[in-house]
Amino acid sequence: MSIQRLGLGTLAALGGGAVLAGAVSSGTVLSLLTQAIIYAVFAIGVGVLLRQNGMVSFGHALFFGSSGYAVGLILQLKLMPAEVALPLVLLGLVVSAFLMGLVIVRVPGVAFGMLTLAIGQMFYLTASRSRGLTGGADGMNIEWPSTLFGLSTATLLKPANFFMISWGTLVLVMLLLSLLLRSRFGAITEAVRDNEERARFIGIQTLLPRAAIYALSACVTGLAGLLSALNTGFVSPENLHWSLSGVALMMVVVGGYKALWGPALGAVVYFLAKDILGDFANHWMAIFGVALITVIVFSPTGIAGALERLVKGKKASPAGAKPAGH
Amino acid sequence: MSEFVLQADDVAIHYGGVKAVDGVSLTLKRGEIRGLIGPNGAGKSTVIDAITGRVPLTRGQVRLLGEDVTALGPTARRMKGLSRSFQRTSIFGQMPVRKQIELASYKMGVADSGADADAVLQELDLLPMAHVIAEDLGYGEQRRLDLALALVGRPSVLLLDEPMAGLSVKESMDLAKHLKALTSRWSVSVLLVEHDMDVVFGISDVVTVFELGRVIASGEPAAVRADPRVREAYLGSTA
Amino acid sequence: MLTINLFNGLVYGALLIVMCSGLALIYGLRRVVNFAHGSLYMLGAYIGYSIASHSNFWVALLAASAVMALLGVLLDRYGFRLLQDRDPLSVVLVTFGLLLILEDFVQTVWGKSNLSMPVPAALNLSVDLLGTPVPAYRIAVIGVGTLVALGLSLWLRYSKIGLFVRAASTDPTTTAMQGVNTDALSAGVVALGTALAGLAGVVAAPFLSLSPSMSSDVIIDSFVVVVVGGLGSLAGAFIAAMVLGMVQSLGAVYIPDLSAVLPFVIMVAILIWKPAGFAGSRT
Repeated sequence: MSIQRLGLGTLAALGGGAVLAGAVSSGTVLSLLTQAIIYAVFAIGVGVLLRQNGMVSFGHALFFGSSGYAVGLILQLKLMPAEVALPLVLLGLVVSAFLMGLVIVRVPGVAFGMLTLAIGQMFYLTASRSRGLTGGADGMNIEWPSTLFGLSTATLLKPANFFMISWGTLVLVMLLLSLLLRSRFGAITEAVRDNEERARFIGIQTLLPRAAIYALSACVTGLAGLLSALNTGFVSPENLHWSLSGVALMMVVVGGYKALWGPALGAVVYFLAKDILGDFANHWMAIFGVALITVIVFSPTGIAGALERLVKGKKASPAGAKPAGH
Repeated sequence: MSEFVLQADDVAIHYGGVKAVDGVSLTLKRGEIRGLIGPNGAGKSTVIDAITGRVPLTRGQVRLLGEDVTALGPTARRMKGLSRSFQRTSIFGQMPVRKQIELASYKMGVADSGADADAVLQELDLLPMAHVIAEDLGYGEQRRLDLALALVGRPSVLLLDEPMAGLSVKESMDLAKHLKALTSRWSVSVLLVEHDMDVVFGISDVVTVFELGRVIASGEPAAVRADPRVREAYLGSTA
Repeated sequence: MLTINLFNGLVYGALLIVMCSGLALIYGLRRVVNFAHGSLYMLGAYIGYSIASHSNFWVALLAASAVMALLGVLLDRYGFRLLQDRDPLSVVLVTFGLLLILEDFVQTVWGKSNLSMPVPAALNLSVDLLGTPVPAYRIAVIGVGTLVALGLSLWLRYSKIGLFVRAASTDPTTTAMQGVNTDALSAGVVALGTALAGLAGVVAAPFLSLSPSMSSDVIIDSFVVVVVGGLGSLAGAFIAAMVLGMVQSLGAVYIPDLSAVLPFVIMVAILIWKPAGFAGSRT
């Protein structure tokens, strides 16, 4: 997609969202959509790591929950105004994730996944146990001030408004990622992903790009965590639990990781499914387990991959589909 | 000293008790193509690994354009102009052809990486598939892509590890002719490890014969071919 | 005081040895990291609980392990074997899907509240260890761990089948070409692996109590053990299990607030030094 088309697409998406926010009168529906969007951003973070580094994280809820906890603690201890806290938390998250990445991206293959699971769960356990600091298993309320960036917080959190804020965040994240990943940096990370040794042979330092992608994915997920903190005004150890990481991962796999928008699609499918499941929703874990297995076996690139194959299949004509010499 | 673009002095690689390469010395002059032949397991690929810095030396020295590069890693040596291709095709599977070649060129520090990439694509007849994703290429095309990645930035020395592996007779001869023309035009000096005797004796200026990690003969192709030790060890008396 | 904590460390370490050897065996032969291993441990424990409530602990121990072994055969035949040409990450995700299914299954059948399994009568006594009374059951757990470690090591080293297993772990193609029925071998080893998980579960039940979170509690520690010990290395796993058991036990007592973070710190320290774990990973 050319830059112009990207720009147009962004504007169209933002416009479409505004129309939707205006058209839907039910606050409940908008809230549900907002939740789906927040999860979509979370999943996109996980997806970026898989797409650019070829690495699966089973513990990304770490970044989702800790951004909420960080903001909550800063506001509770009245260390700085919320307007400063928000970008600072995100920055801190990026830096920490980068440093962490420098160590852990060196762990090969599946061991990396195991490591992320362990790290994520450790933070969960720490948060659950430190009653004094984080409220323990009960979680903590986040004391948002009455005004944010000059606007009334209560107004910002009205369903239609917050829907637009979340939607806008999602669209902007997609735009920024698209731009970043088509840049030289994106090409470098793809080369390292495809063939680390050859990448080194052509002069690429392979540790830093991978750590950077890890930090980037943490940033996106952390952003989702901040949105969630604003949305619910609350953060609990559940925001750090491996099952949440698992849900996000599932969205990425089912939606498809090769397309940037795949994970967002996965989030939509997840929420739709939960809605449709109704009574069976109690067994969501088993159902999503089955969905995950089905997708892996039959369409590893997820729904997005299947859709793209469909489109490509229609475009390719019987004659001249293969390059000469094959 | 400086007449040689590449010089390996008494290079040895020992793995525990196994002497994969044992005291090998060879030289490469500017613009020369030196063929490296020998039975399987003779240590030919290991020598390439040694010269490029992929495996550490137990003993010996490697000089590139007069400079001692023994302590440098593969990336550093590549930057100085010591390039190699791989026996088992090593490319970036999910990237389009031109994109990866241009990236390689860019990382080599070439000012106009696009032009360099196009030149290499042209030479190796890959222009028609410039935008094809690497894993969708045919085997022969992938081998050429592996080579292309080694050719960006006009390396001074090119080590080719069985470039004809898996190619048909016609494809091999075509590629051999291509290589000969290309390397002379671009002044690239070549160390060619190959099993295909027709190719090796067809395009090499000099030939070195390996056996059990050591050099047993070295010289002009005709002389090597006639050398009784070589015939006994490798070619067989019918060669 | 220290004695009992060290002792508890040994107990937990022994449990981890039983768990992680199953994980390592499955990885060694099938190159799969079984993310559902903790859930199998949990399932084994719950099945053991149900069997024990109708008969006794010892029957439960054997029967639950047998059931888990059978599950292992099915898992290998219809899971790992069918997916053996796929990339490792895909298979891992499938085991993750299995984890979700098993978690749900256990909660549906046995509910979400904690259950307890009584210590078998024969071991329900206190023994004097260096002046401190310790439950005999826990000594037995250490015994089980030791037996498993020794048994597996000796079996792999000296038996014919053990030789086949080691060969198939290193080079499945050549081993198959030599006439070894690698499919049957894999099924057997995976069954052994899952049986070990189930065994660990039943063994753990009397002193750790049964809860839906027991799978995640143990899988994290198992992963730390296997990553630190080096994927596929039994010996590495044994050592790492013991170290982790000690760290967890001592940490829980002396620095309770930070105890959860300790394994993380150790992991990071080791991985900075050796990214593929102690014994390195076999790719």
